[in-house]
Amino acid sequence: MPLEEEIRESILEWDEDKLIELCCTSLESNEATPEELLKVIGSTMQYIGELFEQEEIFLPDLIGSADIVKKVVDDILDPAIKEKGGERETLGRVILGTVEGDVHSIGKDLVASFLFSNGFEIYNLGEEVPAINFIDKAEEVNANVIGLSSLLTMSMNSQRDVIDELKKRGLRDKYKIVIGGSPTSVDWAEEIGADGWADDAIEAVSLIKKLLNV
Amino acid sequence: MKIKQVEVLSKDEIEAINSASLNLLSTLGLKIDSEDVKKLFIENGAEIDNETNFIKLPESLVKEQMKKVPSSFKLHGPDGSFNFEVNTTSTKFATIGTPVKIYDPSRKSNVRKTVMADTIKQIRMVDSLKHILCSHVDVWPGDVKFTALHAHCIYQWAKNTRKPYGLGCFGKVASQDMMNMVSIVVGGEEELIKNPRLVGFVNPTSPLHLPHIMTNGYEIFAKYKQPTIIAPEALAGISAPVTLAGLLTQTNAEVIGGIVLGQLFNPGAPVFFGTVSCCGDMRTGNSALGSIETGLITTGMAQLARYYNIPSRGPGGITDSKCFDVQNGFERYQTLLFAAQAGINYITCAGTYEETLVEALELLVIDDELVGIVKRALEGVTVNEETIGLDLIKKVAIANKTGSNFLGESHTRKFMKKELYLPKLINRDRRSSWVKKGSKDIIGVASDIVEKTLKEYSPPDLDKDIEKKLLDYIKEVESRSLDFFREAEGIYTKSISMIGTGVELKEDDLK
Repeated sequence: MPLEEEIRESILEWDEDKLIELCCTSLESNEATPEELLKVIGSTMQYIGELFEQEEIFLPDLIGSADIVKKVVDDILDPAIKEKGGERETLGRVILGTVEGDVHSIGKDLVASFLFSNGFEIYNLGEEVPAINFIDKAEEVNANVIGLSSLLTMSMNSQRDVIDELKKRGLRDKYKIVIGGSPTSVDWAEEIGADGWADDAIEAVSLIKKLLNV
Repeated sequence: MKIKQVEVLSKDEIEAINSASLNLLSTLGLKIDSEDVKKLFIENGAEIDNETNFIKLPESLVKEQMKKVPSSFKLHGPDGSFNFEVNTTSTKFATIGTPVKIYDPSRKSNVRKTVMADTIKQIRMVDSLKHILCSHVDVWPGDVKFTALHAHCIYQWAKNTRKPYGLGCFGKVASQDMMNMVSIVVGGEEELIKNPRLVGFVNPTSPLHLPHIMTNGYEIFAKYKQPTIIAPEALAGISAPVTLAGLLTQTNAEVIGGIVLGQLFNPGAPVFFGTVSCCGDMRTGNSALGSIETGLITTGMAQLARYYNIPSRGPGGITDSKCFDVQNGFERYQTLLFAAQAGINYITCAGTYEETLVEALELLVIDDELVGIVKRALEGVTVNEETIGLDLIKKVAIANKTGSNFLGESHTRKFMKKELYLPKLINRDRRSSWVKKGSKDIIGVASDIVEKTLKEYSPPDLDKDIEKKLLDYIKEVESRSLDFFREAEGIYTKSISMIGTGVELKEDDLK
């Protein structure tokens, strides 16, 4: 079986060990460059995304595949590219987190998986993230987008805090700010001065693609 | 474990009803029109009451004949590629109804009279659905000659589906025509008898009357061993006692009487222990098929069927609503879930509303979804070490990452399709996604599916010679006069009342 097919199968079957082995051996033997492997993985994730859109597969299939791919990219391919002095090609770098005062994670993690599967580089900061941490990380990795999640009416104001803090530091226009979460709305996004709002993970991908023109 | 069957009768209560029904049959008996049927009963130990002219069935006759009834049988499609088993433990789903109108949103009234094109579309839709396994002459083709309707329908069935079919046992001539035509389709009578294709319906007229036209057709269906549903539609308070126990006793006697007759026609003839009984509406005198009492009656009849070890048939997915409102939704789901939880083996009436008088292909698609949901309910909860997933719970809960969840776990992937029913029509989108997709309600979504299914439908190949023979047969049927039927059936009334439609067709209407 050609390498491309083997990689595709290991991702679809969630065979993490096999995917790691395939990537390591082909890098060691110079059969493929890390960039080439990333390309194959990217097209597989695109294929998985299409299957998901067509309702052939469901969330667990997509997330499970994205999880193992993320591990391989972070642990093997990224370091290999950096070792050569290069940088990974990406549609954009996105900082994601649930704002201060809120511990909800699932929706935000779905957004992370969907964005990652679509070729974005994701920095998932977790939950109860203080405003300052979003900004520090964005500055550190030269991010394009900051995504703020909130599932509580009580924590919605923390989304505004991040934007206010960015303004205070004169950094507001450097990043696209997107927000989401059950109690939020497009009106709320306008009110706090965000660049966009998405109702679910699928919409989040198209929103960010639109904002970045990618 | 699987979900527990719903019951409305204790063991003692079943015995009490059985005993009362047998008492009814032996002391009062059945009103029988056909002299031949009377004779057959009497030859086998029944007695005629000279005063009432009823046929009394002694307990010994009933018990002896009930022993011969098969507890399972198979139904096959025209080309034999599709079949399913009906038995006393599983639940299968089908159509049946008497729709003479069909949903048509282009009309102000939202309905219009049905024509053959609708009949064909319904057959094709059922052929395409996952859970609805059998259609019948449900959608009444109003544009073909009444006396040849059965022949036209058999022809269209053979051309347009891989699934079995069914018709009322409406007279010996029509029933024999159907057997002859289906024999042409399947390659002979032997094959038809060995692997049945048709479900027949015999509806006793409550109270305790087996009408002439029905027993005429029933004899043919029994002779060819085509599974026949004996199903009274008694209305509590109108054609049966208002007390549900009284209705169950009376209809049980009607069904037993019908089943005994089938065994006398042909020992081992497959039958369904059926019901479509419901309550009468005490304000209007109308039947109330969507009522909660339908569920109670259906459940009682399911228990009685199990007591006799005969496959049961009952209605589900039925409503008295005249539009697509909340009543339509809750009555159809209430009756469907009741029938399924009662353990009815053949649940019918998918795709209908307004007491089954109106068809909507959209509802047929929705019912297929509801059946999927109900089938999931019947599976219950599977408990074993793997499904409890103790190690998994620990793993996810202590994972070294905040907000870990079960979505990306292989356990989820392995069990999601078995544990969670994933609906096709039910909308769980967030509002903005729903709006983006056109803010459709479930009828709109179902309508899209109907359109796509019919557009992409590919009918089975019917052999050209067979098709020609069927068309020739139809010509022969078309050439008969109504008097021919009256003569043959031994019926000399001036008009024939079409059961279920209330339409009276005079000779002039048929020309």
